[in-house]
Amino acid sequence: MASASSLSTSSPSTPSPAGQSFRQRPWVRMAFPLVVAVVLAVLPLVLPEFANETVARIGVFAVAVLGLNVVMGYTGQVSLGQIFFLGVGAYVTAYGVQNDWNIVLVFVLACLIPAVAGLIVALAAARLGGLAIAMVTVALPIVGVPLAKRLSEFTGGSQGLSARFAETPEWTGLYDDQWQLYLVLVIGGVVFLLTRYLVRGKYGRAFAIVKGNENVASSMGISPYRYKVLAFTIASLIGGVSGFLYMLVIQYTSPETMSFGHSIELLAAMVIGGAGSIVGSILGGAWYVLVPQLTNAVDASLTALLQGAVLLIVLFVLPGGLASLPRVLARGRRRSGADRGPGAPPTTPSSTAGSGTAAEGSERERQGLA
Amino acid sequence: MNTHFRSRTARGVAVVSALALTLTACGREGDGGGEGGASASPGITDESVTLGITTPLSGATAGPGTCTVAGVKAYFGAKNAEGGVEFGDGKTRTVDIRALDDTYDPQQAKANYDQLKNEVFAMTAGLGTPTNRAWRDAAIADEVPQVLVMTGDPLFSDTDESPWQLGFVPIYQNEGEAFGELLASSTEEHKVAILSQNDDYGEGYVEGFKSAIEGADNIEVVEELTYEATDTSVDAQLTELANSGADVFFNAMSVTPLMISALQKAQQLNWKPSWFLPSNTSSPGAILEPGGAAAYPGIYSVSFAKAPASPAFAQDEDVQAYLAALKEHGDYQDPPAFPHCQWSWMVGATLEQAFAEMTEPTRENFMEALRGIEGFQAPLMLEGTSVTTSEDGQPAVSTLNVQKFNGKGYDTVESFG
Repeated sequence: MASASSLSTSSPSTPSPAGQSFRQRPWVRMAFPLVVAVVLAVLPLVLPEFANETVARIGVFAVAVLGLNVVMGYTGQVSLGQIFFLGVGAYVTAYGVQNDWNIVLVFVLACLIPAVAGLIVALAAARLGGLAIAMVTVALPIVGVPLAKRLSEFTGGSQGLSARFAETPEWTGLYDDQWQLYLVLVIGGVVFLLTRYLVRGKYGRAFAIVKGNENVASSMGISPYRYKVLAFTIASLIGGVSGFLYMLVIQYTSPETMSFGHSIELLAAMVIGGAGSIVGSILGGAWYVLVPQLTNAVDASLTALLQGAVLLIVLFVLPGGLASLPRVLARGRRRSGADRGPGAPPTTPSSTAGSGTAAEGSERERQGLA
Repeated sequence: MNTHFRSRTARGVAVVSALALTLTACGREGDGGGEGGASASPGITDESVTLGITTPLSGATAGPGTCTVAGVKAYFGAKNAEGGVEFGDGKTRTVDIRALDDTYDPQQAKANYDQLKNEVFAMTAGLGTPTNRAWRDAAIADEVPQVLVMTGDPLFSDTDESPWQLGFVPIYQNEGEAFGELLASSTEEHKVAILSQNDDYGEGYVEGFKSAIEGADNIEVVEELTYEATDTSVDAQLTELANSGADVFFNAMSVTPLMISALQKAQQLNWKPSWFLPSNTSSPGAILEPGGAAAYPGIYSVSFAKAPASPAFAQDEDVQAYLAALKEHGDYQDPPAFPHCQWSWMVGATLEQAFAEMTEPTRENFMEALRGIEGFQAPLMLEGTSVTTSEDGQPAVSTLNVQKFNGKGYDTVESFG
C-alpha cells in the first residue's frame, strides 16, 4: 500500500487509471479472450491429474451456479431448487448411457427434460412473488430425493446409477482426466458464453428491470411473469447441463446428489462468488469444490465448523462476493492513495454485480474527472 | 507509457510461461518414487504404507463415520507404537492413515478418492453405500483396492462385478435372516409387525427375514408398512402397527433419531412388543437409552462384535486393549457410541492378516492376500463369528449372532424369549 501511494504521488501514471486504460485498449480486448482460451487449452496438458480433476469439478459446479445466477442474481427470484435440476440432468444422462443411447441425444435430453420440468414449475411458481417462490422451489429437492428412491426402475433406487462414458478416443493420446477436462471446458465454456450474451443483451436488461421493480417493468411493457418463467426455465436448462457434466466427471448419481443441503450450498456458493456476475459463477464453483478440500486438509473432523467460519468471514469482509474483490481493492487503494477521507464514494456493500457494471462505469467516470 | 505497458505484459508472459514450465515439470509424475523397488505400488515404501479413508466426519452420519476412522487408526496406532506391522516380504512397515471427510456426499467422496488414489496404497473402512458406490467404477479402472468398506450393499462382495472391492460388514439380508431363524425356532406362536425403510436397505432386511420364516407355522406377519428415509416422523405407521396386536416388531430402520422416537412413541401407545433392530441402529448408549428401551420385554439385534459397554466383556483383554488404544491413538476420548468403532478395529486386524501374507509390495498381491483369509477370528469378534474373505458373494463377515439387550449392553442368545 505504501509503495502504491508513493508511486501515485511521484509519477503521473498512477497504477489504477493505467490499469483501466490498459483494459480498454482494443488489442487487449481482442487478445484477452484469446489468451484465456490458449491458457485453458494448454492447462489440462500441464496440470497433474488431481488438479485436472479438481478443475473439471469446478467447471461442473460453476455451470450449476451460473444457472442459479440467471434466475437469482440477474432476475432476483430466490430459487432453492437448483440442485434438483442438476440431479434430473444427471439421472437422465445416467439412464441414457446405461441404455446405450447416442450421447448427443443424451445431452439434448439432459438439457431439455430439466428445462421442461423447470418450465412447468415456473409457470406455477412465478405467479407468486418474493419469498413465496423460494418456498415453492424448496419443495423440489425435498420431493426429488424420495422420488429418485421410488422410481428405482429408472434411478436405481437409493443405490444410485453409475455411468462411465466419453472414453478417451485413442487418437487423442490424452489421459482420461485431460479428455474429461477438455469436454467440461468446451461444454461449460459454450454455456458461459451464451449466458454472457443473454444477460448482456435485451433479455438481460429485461431481467434486471424485473429484478429492480416489477411495476416499472410492467409499465415498460415487460411482463414480469413471462421473464420470470423464462429465467427460471433457462436456469433449469443450465442446471441440466451441469447434471450432464456431473455424470461426465463424477460418473455416479444417487438420491444424495440432490439433497436439500446441497441446494443451500449452491446458493451460498453463488452469493460468495458474486450474485449477478459471470466471473462470480466461476468463483462460486471454485468455492463449492475447493473449500471442502481446504478444510479437509486442515482438519478432516472439523470440516463443517471450518466451512461455516470461512463463509462468515467472506460474507463479512466481502458482502458483494469474491467477484467484488478487485473493486474493493481498487477502492481501498484509491482511498489510501488519494486520501479522499470522508469524500470517498458511499460504498454500496450490497452492490451485486448486476449493478456492478454500473458501479464500474461510475468509477471510471470518477477517475476520468480526477 | 507504452514501454511501461509492454514491460508489464512481458513480465506477465514471463510469469505465465515460468508457471507452465514448473507445472510441466511436476506434472505426470504419478508413478511415484523408486524407493520401494521398481514394481512397488503407490503409497508403500520399505518403511511405511499409507491407507486412505473417505467417510462422513461431519453432518448427520458423522457419529458412525468418525468411528470408522477411529478404530482402524487406533489399531495401527498401537501397532506403530510397537514398531510396525510385519509384512509377508519380511519387511516391517508402519501404517499411516489418511482420512478425509465426505459428509456422506457421493460427489465429495469421489473427489476425496481422486485426491488420495496416487498417494495411498489402498482405500479402506469408509462408511456409506452411495459414497462408496460413487468411486467404485473409478477404483476398478485405476486398479485401486477399495476393501473392507462399511456397506451392506451386496455389490461390493461380488468378485466378478467388483474385482478390486470387498465389503466388510454383513449384507442386509444376512441380518434379517439371522433374526428370522431365531424367531422360527421359537416354541410359541408369534405375530409379527414389520416396518421398513422404503429402499434397498429395508427391502434387504425384510427379504432376509421372510426367507428365514418361510414355512414356519408359528410365525404370522400381521402388518407390514414402510416409511421414507426422509420422513421426520413414523407416528402414523406405529399407531397402525400397534393396532395389529403384534407381539414382535421387526423394525428395519436406519435413521437414528427416528429409531429413538419410534421407541418412545410405541410406549406412549402402550404397545410393548419385542423389537428387532438392525445392527447400525441398535447402539445401547446412543439409541436404546434415550428411547427408553428398558420398557420392552426384549430388544433384539444382531452383532459380530463384543460390545465394550457390556459388563460381560468389561474384563475381556481384547476390549481393554481396544479401549485404551482408541483413547491413545484413535483421537476418540469417549466410550465408543457406535459399533462401527469396533468394526473398524477389526478391519485393522484383518488388514494386518493380509499384510502378513503379502510377498510383493503391489496392490495386486495385496488383493490376492486379502482374498485368502479363512475363519480368522479378529479381536473383539464374538464366539461363532469370523472373517472369511474367500467366499464369492459374501462380505468379509457374514456370520452373525442374535443378541438381546440386557439393560446395559447385549448378550448373545440361543433362543427367543
